[in-house]
Amino acid sequence: MTELRLEGVSYDYPDGTVALVDVDLLLPAGQTLALIGANGSGKSTLARHLDGLLRPSRGRVRIDGEDAAARSVAQLAHHVGLCFQHPERQIFNHDTFEEVAYGPRRLGVADEQIGARVRAALEAVDLAGAIGSHPDDLGDAARKLLSIASVLAMETPVLVLDEPTIGLDARGVALIERLIGDLHAVGRTVVAISHDLRFVAETFERVVLLDAGQIILDGGPAEVFAEAAWPRLRTAGLEPPAAALIGARLGLGSTPTEESVVEALRSR
Amino acid sequence: MTLLYIPERRAATPWHRLDPLTRLTVGVATMLAAVLLGGVICPLLLASVAVVLPAALAGVLRDVLRTGLLLALPLAVSVVIVNVLFATGTTEQGIAIAAEVVVRVLTMAAAAVLFYATTRPSELVASLQYHGASPRLTFVIHNGVAMIPRLAERAREVTAAQRARGLDTEGSWPRRARGVLAVAAPTVLGAVREVEARTLALETRAFARPGSRTVLWPPHDTAGQRVARWGILVALLVLFVARISGAPLPC
Amino acid sequence: MLTFRDVSYRYAGASRDCLHAVSLDVPAGRVTGLVGPSGAGKSTLCLIAGGLAPRVIGGRLIGEMRLDDEDVSGWPMHRLAEHVTSGLQDPAGQLSLVADTVFDEVAFGPANLGLRRDEILERASTAMRQVGIESLAGRDPRLLSGGQQQLVILAGLMAMRPRVLVLDEPVAHLDARGTREVLDAVAALSGTGTAVLMAEQRTSALASVADSLALVAGGNIVAQGSVAEVLDDAATVALGVEPLPEQRLRMRLRAAGLDPALLDAAPQDPAPLEPRA
Repeated sequence: MTELRLEGVSYDYPDGTVALVDVDLLLPAGQTLALIGANGSGKSTLARHLDGLLRPSRGRVRIDGEDAAARSVAQLAHHVGLCFQHPERQIFNHDTFEEVAYGPRRLGVADEQIGARVRAALEAVDLAGAIGSHPDDLGDAARKLLSIASVLAMETPVLVLDEPTIGLDARGVALIERLIGDLHAVGRTVVAISHDLRFVAETFERVVLLDAGQIILDGGPAEVFAEAAWPRLRTAGLEPPAAALIGARLGLGSTPTEESVVEALRSR
Repeated sequence: MTLLYIPERRAATPWHRLDPLTRLTVGVATMLAAVLLGGVICPLLLASVAVVLPAALAGVLRDVLRTGLLLALPLAVSVVIVNVLFATGTTEQGIAIAAEVVVRVLTMAAAAVLFYATTRPSELVASLQYHGASPRLTFVIHNGVAMIPRLAERAREVTAAQRARGLDTEGSWPRRARGVLAVAAPTVLGAVREVEARTLALETRAFARPGSRTVLWPPHDTAGQRVARWGILVALLVLFVARISGAPLPC
Repeated sequence: MLTFRDVSYRYAGASRDCLHAVSLDVPAGRVTGLVGPSGAGKSTLCLIAGGLAPRVIGGRLIGEMRLDDEDVSGWPMHRLAEHVTSGLQDPAGQLSLVADTVFDEVAFGPANLGLRRDEILERASTAMRQVGIESLAGRDPRLLSGGQQQLVILAGLMAMRPRVLVLDEPVAHLDARGTREVLDAVAALSGTGTAVLMAEQRTSALASVADSLALVAGGNIVAQGSVAEVLDDAATVALGVEPLPEQRLRMRLRAAGLDPALLDAAPQDPAPLEPRA
């Protein structure tokens, strides 16, 4: 179980661009949280602070109360696994097994446990049939899933996914939704960055809106996607999920998910 | 390290104002001449005239020397070790040979860095097109010049992705060395893919079209520069002939 | 109009065809959308339509490709590029890298065509205005956001004044605002008579601009028709194509034993994407 806490974190890029401004965020163990915001709002910068790839210019990141500054990225990788957006920037092995085994091996997982971990991770993304294949022989969508599996196999208490649904079709998106649900059920913390607000509303218990490096909204999907919050979403360049729009049109209250629309209509 | 174009600090210097083709000629000729010239004095004279002077003029002397040294250092160190410690002749002979090689390598590296640091890829392509280079040649040179900054950026991204998977880049040197493949493979493969993708993007905008194209911002070529370029080529040719015919060095 | 007749294609080094005898019309002044599951052949179809396959990437193409009743199969790439241009998914990867300003990036294509200088300047200015990026003219395109870069690329393609514009997932990496801007530009371009072929995973984005859709699956076009005809079909959804939000809700209501007509109780909802600022 790992609890992450950002205390007054600001980050300026070396060229002077201000990417995060005084961000306070407590991420309790076992929570699923989506980071949303326009291109360039600071989502990826924030995510990279969670595993130490970026260190705050001001403020502090605490991991289970301890200052993360004292630990290397390699040490933090035991607690936080981060999967980047572009699979082609990390896949380098000649077969899927070795690719997925890379992370656990770096963490020092014993050889006899590697096989089970790799198989479980590939199974979780529906790639059990591709075990041992050359990653180049997989399609773009499967390579995306492979990159997710390679971080999944690290079995870190916290998992951070940058745009996990880009490049996936509806079936792939549904798979990611199920996967995050399963991880949540076993108490893992999941943070995801996404532009797909339907996916966000359907999948996460907490949603944080960033705009120009600041947290503008923070709450459950019902709060963040409630009609009262739409102006702030739109100022930040986003549009509420369709279920919320339809619910508002029908006067159902805040219905960020399809399930909530159905339930509201049923009880009507 | 500076392998990229350094934005001019003041208004464009006389060196920056030259036609990029002239700067390219100076750079390539310097590199070739450094190979052809023997001894230590000649290459040093060459370096001071063709690298140090223009670099100072362009206000990038420190960057050029620093990056040139960094690039040449690994080779220079190994040459010194081989020639001084394991030489068959006397130590003095070993030192002399090592000095010759180091000076040449340094001159070549600095000449290349000077060109890169003072030339935007866009200017070079415009200049080549203006002088009627074939689209294919322009394309190849363009990829070569444009790729280095992209490669460096990509390597940083890949390193971040692999560190997130537990790659240790902060530990001991042997541990770091083992991580080289994990960074190098996606970087190089990614660069190849990127060149492929960019090829598509350029082809669809008719970059490879034969025939004349309109150069929106033509280079500042002058009669003096044309004469200088030909002069440099002739001098290089003379040097080449002199060296293969065994003529003694002037210095 | 761009026309395919019985086009089959095999990538260089592949052991089997990726597209099987595909026939498709991409009419002038309309946006033709391509939908289908991952790996169905949408991107391949885009590469062929843009002339890049097989001319640039190799492979073997059988069948006929016509541009306004002219057979273009034998045309070299640079000749086709004067009439058909294509945009790809990753905006940064498409920048020419030889342009230091947005203006030069947009002018890159027309300059390659060897047009007169004043015409190039006019075309670049017009295209930037159409896409709404005049204010970015002096910026370095490499330093813009992904959405802005995609608009720059689009303007660069429009400045070529193509008869056919092919776009492969142009909004995949964009937020709602960037998506809206790109889609508006595409709609405006098709309004001027350009034939647009656009592949897109995000069907709700595509549905807002497409005049018709073709459903690609397993290297075949398995359905063609209006947006509603193609998407409002259980078979389409079963293939893994994302249903439109309303349609998805109707399916859920039906599954919950409720009447889908409950959604029609109030007036139509606003457009699913933010109107342009």
